[in-house]
Amino acid sequence: MTKLFKLLFVGLLLFVSVACAKKEETTTTTTTTEEQKVLKVAGLNGGYGDAGWKAVAAAFEEQTGVKVELTLEKNIAETLRPVLTSGKDVPDVIYLSVGAEGKLTDTMIAEKQIADISDLLSTTIPGESGTVGAKIIPGFTDALTSSPYQDGKLYLAPINYSPCGLFYNAGLFEEKGWTVPTTWDEMWELGDKAKAEGIALFTYPTTGYFDAFFSALLNETAGPEVYARLMNYDATAWELPEVKKAFEIVGKLATYTEENTVSNANKDGFTKNQQLILENKALFVPNGTWLPGEMKDAPREKGFKWGFMALPSVTAGSDRYSTTFVEQVYIPEASANKDVAKQFVAFLYSDKAVELFYKNGGAVLPTTTASSFIEDGSDAKLFYSIYDTGAKANAVGFAAREAIEGVDLTSAEGILYGTVNSVVNGSKTVDDWYNSVIEAVKQYNK
Amino acid sequence: MKKINLYKVFVYVALFSLFISIIIPVAWVFMASIKENAEFYTSPWNLPKGFYFQNFINAFEKAKMGEYFLNSVILTGLSLIILLVVSVPAAYVLARYEFKFKKLINILYMAGLFINVNYIVVPIFLMLLNWDNILYKYLNVEFFLNNIFVLAIIYAATGIPFTIYLLQSYFKTISKSYEDAACIDGCDYFQTMIKIMIPLAKPSIITVILFNFLAFWNEYIIALTMLPNSNKTLPVGVVNLYQASRGKAEYGMLYAGLVIVMLPTLILYILVQRKLTEGMTVGGIKD
Amino acid sequence: MRKSKQKSLFTFICVAPSVILFTIFMLIPTINIFWMSLLKWGGLSANKKFVGLSNFIKLFSDLNFIRSLQNTLFLIVIVTLVTISFALVFAAILTREKLKGQNILRIVFYIPNILSVVVISAIFSAVYDPSNGLLNTIVGLFQPENWKTIKFLGNPDIVVYSIAGAMIWQAIGYYMVMYMASMSSISIHLYEAADLEGASKIKQFFDITLPLIWTNIRTTLTFFVISSINLSFLFVKVMTTGGPDGASETVLSYLYKQAYDNASYGYGMAIGAVVFVVSFLLSAVINHVTKRDVIQF
Repeated sequence: MTKLFKLLFVGLLLFVSVACAKKEETTTTTTTTEEQKVLKVAGLNGGYGDAGWKAVAAAFEEQTGVKVELTLEKNIAETLRPVLTSGKDVPDVIYLSVGAEGKLTDTMIAEKQIADISDLLSTTIPGESGTVGAKIIPGFTDALTSSPYQDGKLYLAPINYSPCGLFYNAGLFEEKGWTVPTTWDEMWELGDKAKAEGIALFTYPTTGYFDAFFSALLNETAGPEVYARLMNYDATAWELPEVKKAFEIVGKLATYTEENTVSNANKDGFTKNQQLILENKALFVPNGTWLPGEMKDAPREKGFKWGFMALPSVTAGSDRYSTTFVEQVYIPEASANKDVAKQFVAFLYSDKAVELFYKNGGAVLPTTTASSFIEDGSDAKLFYSIYDTGAKANAVGFAAREAIEGVDLTSAEGILYGTVNSVVNGSKTVDDWYNSVIEAVKQYNK
Repeated sequence: MKKINLYKVFVYVALFSLFISIIIPVAWVFMASIKENAEFYTSPWNLPKGFYFQNFINAFEKAKMGEYFLNSVILTGLSLIILLVVSVPAAYVLARYEFKFKKLINILYMAGLFINVNYIVVPIFLMLLNWDNILYKYLNVEFFLNNIFVLAIIYAATGIPFTIYLLQSYFKTISKSYEDAACIDGCDYFQTMIKIMIPLAKPSIITVILFNFLAFWNEYIIALTMLPNSNKTLPVGVVNLYQASRGKAEYGMLYAGLVIVMLPTLILYILVQRKLTEGMTVGGIKD
Repeated sequence: MRKSKQKSLFTFICVAPSVILFTIFMLIPTINIFWMSLLKWGGLSANKKFVGLSNFIKLFSDLNFIRSLQNTLFLIVIVTLVTISFALVFAAILTREKLKGQNILRIVFYIPNILSVVVISAIFSAVYDPSNGLLNTIVGLFQPENWKTIKFLGNPDIVVYSIAGAMIWQAIGYYMVMYMASMSSISIHLYEAADLEGASKIKQFFDITLPLIWTNIRTTLTFFVISSINLSFLFVKVMTTGGPDGASETVLSYLYKQAYDNASYGYGMAIGAVVFVVSFLLSAVINHVTKRDVIQF
């Protein structure tokens, strides 16, 4: 046994020296690279993958000589949190959207930890002659996700926009001779027809996808002016009957929802819900343009063809909406290289970067030139043409507010969206849901 | 006679059902690890169409499982060493000797069993951060965060209450006559402990090693927080394969990663399982 | 005199390192939890505000927290009861009976305990799946054609039981091995004597086995409380994310949601403080209630 202890002791020493040696290694590497400017970029390895970012980072390095250290991870919200808390080695640019899982960006906004980048709009894009402000499609920088405090200042730069709406199997509609519904009444008719054939009208991956769906619906029932008030926690707006109408539509949709949806509306099972569309077990699923890529490997019924539409209108001829899902990049207040970081963010809007982003993963930046890269006849063309064929665009996201303990209105499992699961499985009524939303909104106004 | 047979049948059926309910799912994980990605969208109970070993190659190459594996081995080994060096003597002394504050220490360790790492991880992180800031101010170095050695110490500390609790109960079951004999031979306290008592506690020490190995090997939240910039451990790496909402999931690679995490624990368990029962006399019978 | 000095030096050297490590990395952070629970703090900035007991006052009127606490307590109770019964019976059989393949059984039964939670969650997602899951397929064999499958993870009234099922499956082997350890030290003569008197196996189990390993069972009750709180969180996090609509939320998953998703770090720590105190008290109560005179033959 003494032998064992000696062995343990020697082992311990060995490990200490290894640990120390490792430490030294890392310090030397940082000192050597200090001569060259280094920009740390961290972000989510999400629906668009990381190839686009790698290509753009390389192009930026080539153009400016700045070295870009890129960290893209799937659980970036978790790995970044301690780094941001420590305030050391904070990334100079973060690519993580408002409302993304982990709610890190939302916390950054609530805690006012994001740098004001209003002058980005007047910054000249590296390698081009125009400014960023002139190149971004108008409207994007005013959204609550970019200017969360509504003070006229820009904090989060909008990138990668994609329309969200309802996906379906266009092949099935052709085969059955069904017309794609344009109003909710036609939707219910179709729902009854499909039910007779054992097909459900609707499914959803998780309740997290209702942020886009429900925002578009609110715009349809109540209009954009009321919608803006809703997103600012205006309780009187939430109490309007046309707002309740949106809740009631979801309530009716709940009765047409595929029966296993709630069981699979979680991290482990959400692809099974998306799979229902491919297998003709459900007709519509709310989602974003990343869906076809996400389900690329999944087996599908014969003749399957992606179809995509905006939400049906409330009455014939009234406006149809499709939420524009926009991702964000921002510069943390704690970044030590804000100027270089701003150059980098400006570079994201250059034609070169826009093309690289689209060619490597299909992300489309909200610039005036981006649509020129989309080939005719591609899936992307179909998706992005949704606004050309009459649908109106709306933004998604609430204004920033100080957190209220114990009240979670807006997250995927929160009161506004999470309760949909209970409405679908029948454990809560639409009135229960609506009243608890109103109650929560009122708390933000105290 | 017939009655006994019926009883036996019942026993076999009960044991066999439990056996099946364990074997099938475990085999399922292994099978999943050699499936191609497209197969994951069909029924999970379908047999794999072929032997798709590429999953493992991907896990090692794309997801850096090899590097993480090494980190995990070093971290787990180091933590176990520190834990044993610190806990075994303490457990022995707490079981055998009377001294001031003994009662207080026992109460503290008892309360320590109820501390959950899930909520103390941030306070620990902030404390280390603070130390690093002080170090940086005066010596221009950082030491505590991003250091696998410090992480091992934290692991060891979180294992102390349970380990001492387990070892202490075992030491209490060992007859005092062994030490008395040692006294006559003229051994001093240290010699008695190291040469006589610790070898006697070997079964319990093996149990402790296995329990803590499982805990350290699978630990996720502390590793994630204390190594923010540099190396990752295996569980952190696997979760990175797992979290793929709004993106294409690499199921095959995920299950390959899960098998890579699982294998060492399975092997270690099969190696020590015989000793396991011997060492688990918790608060048990004093004989 | 020299001897006693030597002795105190010895005890000091042996105990001090563990006490130091424990104090720095367990005790002080725990005290910190209580301090942070008095703050309004988002967790990222230096912007902290002392709010006194406000977090705790909100906590006790927070219905979501109360539900998560109920779920956790329910899980502790049901997992403990079911696991203990099965583990004791299986342990008794495996120690008392001469069975074929006993060793294999012993090895296999322990395996669930060494699997990581991610693996177990994946397994149970496949078992509970409403359309082609193992359980629904088996139950469906005995049901009429138009039978609706059981929504193990989708029905708010069932989901907690589904989580409990996974936890029990995971825990049986662990406790079984633990009970086997103490059962095997019961003298065989006691059973032989009982056999001679014609006592049935069941009577032997209740009159000999149970009383003799009672202290052991009591200790494991504490383990149950601790591990159920922790494991229920890990399972819920992967399998249901607390859903549907919070129906399977447990205290620790709620802590995480509040501290991180809802940017209420201080509030989350108040939950942590409550969890610590509740689990400690619960164990103390269990310990007190199950106190019996130690029986020795």
